[in-house]
Amino acid sequence: MGDDYPTLFRSEQMSLVQLIVPTEVAHDTIAELGELGNVQFKDLNPDVNPFQRSYVGEIRRVDEMARRVRFFASQLEKEKEPIPVRPLYDSAPLVTVGPRAAQTIDELDVKLAEHESRLTQMNESYQLLSERLRELVEARHVLRETAQFFDQAAVRETGEVRASLDDSSAPLLQHDDREQQYSSGELQFDLEFVAGTIDRARLSTFERVLWRVLRGNLYMNYIDIQEPFVDPATGAETRKNVFIIFAHGDILLGKIRKVAESMGATIYPIDVNADKRADSMREVTGRLEDLQIVLYNTGANRRTELMTIGENIASWEDVVGKEKLIYETLNLLNYDARRKTLVAEGWCPTRDIPQIQLALRHATEESGTNVPPILHELRTNRTPPTFHRTNKFTEGFQTIMDAYGVATYEEVNPGLFAVITFPFLFAVMFGDIGHGFIIFISAALMILFERKLAKADLGEIFGTFFFGRYIILLMGVFSIYTGFLYNDIFSKSLHLFHSGWEFPEAHGNDTLVGFANGHTYPFGIDPAWHGAENGLLFTNSYKMKMSIVLGVIHMTFAVCLQVPNHIRFRRFSDIWTNFIPQMVFLQSIFGYLVVCIIYKWTVDWSQASTQPPSLLNMLIGMVLSPGSVDPDSQLYPGQATVQVILLLMAGVCVPWLLISKPYLQYQEMKKIQGQGYIGLGADDVPRHTDDTTLEGEEEGNGQAIVEANDEEHEQHDFSEVVVHQVIHTIEFCLGCVSHTASYLRLWALSLAHAQLSEVLWDMTLANVLGMPGVVGIIALAFVGVMWLVLTISILCVMELEGEPVVPVVEPVPTADPPHAGPPDIEVE
Amino acid sequence: MEALLFNVSGGFLEGIVRGYKAGLLTQNQYNNLTQCETIEDFRTQLSATDYGNFLANEPLPISTSTISDKATQLLVDQFNYLRSNAVEPLSKFLEYMTYAYMIDNVILIITGTLHGRNTSELLQRCHPLGIFDTMPALCVATNVEELYHTVLVETPLAPYFRDAVSAADLDDLNIEIIRNTLYKAYLEDFDAFCQSLGGPTADVMHRILAFEADRRAINITINSFGTQLSKEQRAKLFPTIGRLFPEGNNTLARADEIDQVRQACEAVSEYRAFFDSGGRSHANGNGGANGNSESTANLLGDLDSELGAAADLEDRFFVHEVHLNKLAFLQQFQHAVFYSYIKLKEQEIRSVTWIAECIAQNARDRIHDFIPTF
Repeated sequence: MGDDYPTLFRSEQMSLVQLIVPTEVAHDTIAELGELGNVQFKDLNPDVNPFQRSYVGEIRRVDEMARRVRFFASQLEKEKEPIPVRPLYDSAPLVTVGPRAAQTIDELDVKLAEHESRLTQMNESYQLLSERLRELVEARHVLRETAQFFDQAAVRETGEVRASLDDSSAPLLQHDDREQQYSSGELQFDLEFVAGTIDRARLSTFERVLWRVLRGNLYMNYIDIQEPFVDPATGAETRKNVFIIFAHGDILLGKIRKVAESMGATIYPIDVNADKRADSMREVTGRLEDLQIVLYNTGANRRTELMTIGENIASWEDVVGKEKLIYETLNLLNYDARRKTLVAEGWCPTRDIPQIQLALRHATEESGTNVPPILHELRTNRTPPTFHRTNKFTEGFQTIMDAYGVATYEEVNPGLFAVITFPFLFAVMFGDIGHGFIIFISAALMILFERKLAKADLGEIFGTFFFGRYIILLMGVFSIYTGFLYNDIFSKSLHLFHSGWEFPEAHGNDTLVGFANGHTYPFGIDPAWHGAENGLLFTNSYKMKMSIVLGVIHMTFAVCLQVPNHIRFRRFSDIWTNFIPQMVFLQSIFGYLVVCIIYKWTVDWSQASTQPPSLLNMLIGMVLSPGSVDPDSQLYPGQATVQVILLLMAGVCVPWLLISKPYLQYQEMKKIQGQGYIGLGADDVPRHTDDTTLEGEEEGNGQAIVEANDEEHEQHDFSEVVVHQVIHTIEFCLGCVSHTASYLRLWALSLAHAQLSEVLWDMTLANVLGMPGVVGIIALAFVGVMWLVLTISILCVMELEGEPVVPVVEPVPTADPPHAGPPDIEVE
Repeated sequence: MEALLFNVSGGFLEGIVRGYKAGLLTQNQYNNLTQCETIEDFRTQLSATDYGNFLANEPLPISTSTISDKATQLLVDQFNYLRSNAVEPLSKFLEYMTYAYMIDNVILIITGTLHGRNTSELLQRCHPLGIFDTMPALCVATNVEELYHTVLVETPLAPYFRDAVSAADLDDLNIEIIRNTLYKAYLEDFDAFCQSLGGPTADVMHRILAFEADRRAINITINSFGTQLSKEQRAKLFPTIGRLFPEGNNTLARADEIDQVRQACEAVSEYRAFFDSGGRSHANGNGGANGNSESTANLLGDLDSELGAAADLEDRFFVHEVHLNKLAFLQQFQHAVFYSYIKLKEQEIRSVTWIAECIAQNARDRIHDFIPTF
């Protein structure tokens, strides 16, 4: 079996393997196997706490490294001008296997720590400088704004004072004196004040609180600062205001200061004297310039540091992630302290064992030791995991199938058939040559530029499309095919062959009745139906019947899929107890319906003596009033008898399905018990004697360490078998009915699609096609673009997104029987 | 009626909060946590729970206060999420929940200012759920009157405060009185609000709030032994919605020693257990001294630092509170789950911090003294 070409029909054959790995090469072995990716390790110490396992120390160290890398990444991201990050495939690989592995990791650890400390230091100083810069900027603002305020006040005040002086009777000398005083000291304010900056959001609260604290004894003025302040660490913007508050008395001022400080405001000492203000303004500006230069240099330094980090961060991230996974896997292994080896157990495809052997040897060579890890297969009675080997073509289909349930080990895999049925059922709904062609081209383009696109980050929606590109490709191909069948291209019809109908010359507005001219349209629907008044009626009935026919064929096929399973697992009785009654039940009701549909198509009802019968009513009548068929709507003579026989057959199938299997089981059980055997619990069975253990170990056939204890041993109770079979029977019989009804969705959606595209055509292009002149051309161009965009976006993209959900509903329940069959029941 | 209409506005959030509740640590997870050797282990262990990697980006070594802060931050985020999605009356209900934290914050700041602490340090220690705009200005106030008129008048606490306002100066005793008066008014108001909601919310919340009220009454009584708080004043501080009201409250008001407190609680069978063994050691122990230090411990929100009988009693209260809060989850279509969840989560954070603290200080013998939630 192992030499067969891998097939999707059944899941891969699996082996439970045991690896005995010397501790020296454990890391490299796991790394190598990890690159290979086809061993599923089992947890051999399930009782051990995660932090009591052997490699916790390493994991913790790697975690710390990962934290540093994350820190770098966030720093890189925060940078306003993006720093180039060299992609992984471009960077030199860091070798973490081989004899120098430990050293490499140590070096990396040190390097990361160094980078981190340097970066944090730079961040700190940068932040400190920015903080100081911010303060200075704020101080400058406060100085500028208060200066403005004082200037205004000065102008006003001097004016007033002068006015009062003019008509005063003060002596001239004294007046001069005063003048001098004004010119030297500018203004003497009685009021003292507090000036500073505060977050704009808090300004109103601040004002309110102050007003209440001082009972209104204050004069407050504030001005917005135009530019926002950016926090260098978080990049958040804050907007601030300059405020100046006048109040009288030390206590009040103290209170103001206290409130201001507690509200997060910064207070700047401002002098009343204009000259001093100008001085401090100059000083602030000077310091500001110095600081800006320093800040610029620090920023540049930091940027170079980040650049070097950006060079390597991708490979660091990769290495750290891999190391973590390797150590987590190592934690799953069992450590044999006596022999200084690690014991691993896991599942792998039997076919890949040579490959794994090769990898093990490679790992040994790489690490420079000569103790190779040993691999051998274990015999086990546990069900291996299901593994479907997929390639880029089948991957998408298999994923869809797996979303609905995974077949048991070596059961028939519905994913193989879904490769055809899924796109085909989609196409039944999507049938349109034009639309099919569009999605075919887009999928073809995706496949053509596969390599390039695979590297790029595509985003969620487009990524999904890209993942399903082969599905879409097949959908497109099948849609073109069904489009030909429906004779539909962008809601118009193709006139490829000679039509089978001819219309007489039109006279006025009368309805024209076509007549057959003896031709038969060789493929698809005759274009004469397009635009005919009863065209919709025709396609309706045609598509409805077609979807039933397709559905029943699909279900029949799915029921048949259980046969290979029964043969494979040597459950031949299941063919008689499950497959045959199911088949008879399905065919005698729904198979009969399909036969009737096809028979009805073959009859020329215009020449027949009876009216064409309604098949729906026929089916209902068959069940509700068996044995009586209205002779007016009889499909064929003897219909009533045939239907009664069929109904009886279906009726017999239900108890057959329900009883036969449990009965057989019961018989078998009695037979065994009659022979005097008693079923023993699996755990009670002595697995092997001491001799065989020793022998086995010498021959290298060790036993699985974790034995089957964890596997739930189904208690093969008779009652359980009965219950299971009852459920199975009900599910099947109801499923037949409901699934047949579900397949009608093919018809509904196909109709909806056709109608939607027709509406789109009529509403847009049809209106402008006839328009003459330049206006017509412009309108045509404009509406044409609109039509194309709408067609692609609504009919292709939206339905593509929505519709896959719908057909998937169909194949699964019907594909269910192969793996929903009763679990293999063994009686001991 | 709730069953019919509750889900219209509250269903989503109830679902969310029950989901949050499912993420509370289980007994098993607590056991794993207590086995940790270092804070490092502790972090690894916590990352396997609903806390996720909330500490993953913290540089080593991690202090226990960081753990507590981060965990509280998670709680606050969850609460804010609930609050921003809530509509009336749930939004009002959640609003009410924050008042308790506001009271604590107000008291914290006043006390801190009184003892000359740094304002910004105090602000950092405030519970983030109880922060309001004008809170920083509290440190300006020097007497009760001013406190009310400058800051509290525009907060939701104003109506509660109005009753407490007396021209007294701010000192430790008065602050305690203010705190307890505020709490009394708050509990009564909250209870009235819950009663106005009716239905299961009223039932469940009344049960929880009544216990809260009784707990406060007992605490006030025990803490006031040996202080200059007069018995009339003490009686005024007792909330009137508890199960001890009115008879037990009266007995408590007259109590002079711990035995009388126990007698007052005899009437309620659940409360009797609180004093069974813990009360004994307390009675012959250091009643008054303990009371004072315990109130300061309360003040600083550090409930676990106190040893001795009062802390023991406090633990029993917590256990009972957890029990009541767990019961709240048995009923659907009611708002009490929100309250209970927040309380349980707080208790969980306290427990987690306690365990972390024990690990950090290598006090392994006391590591099991936390109060498990689920």
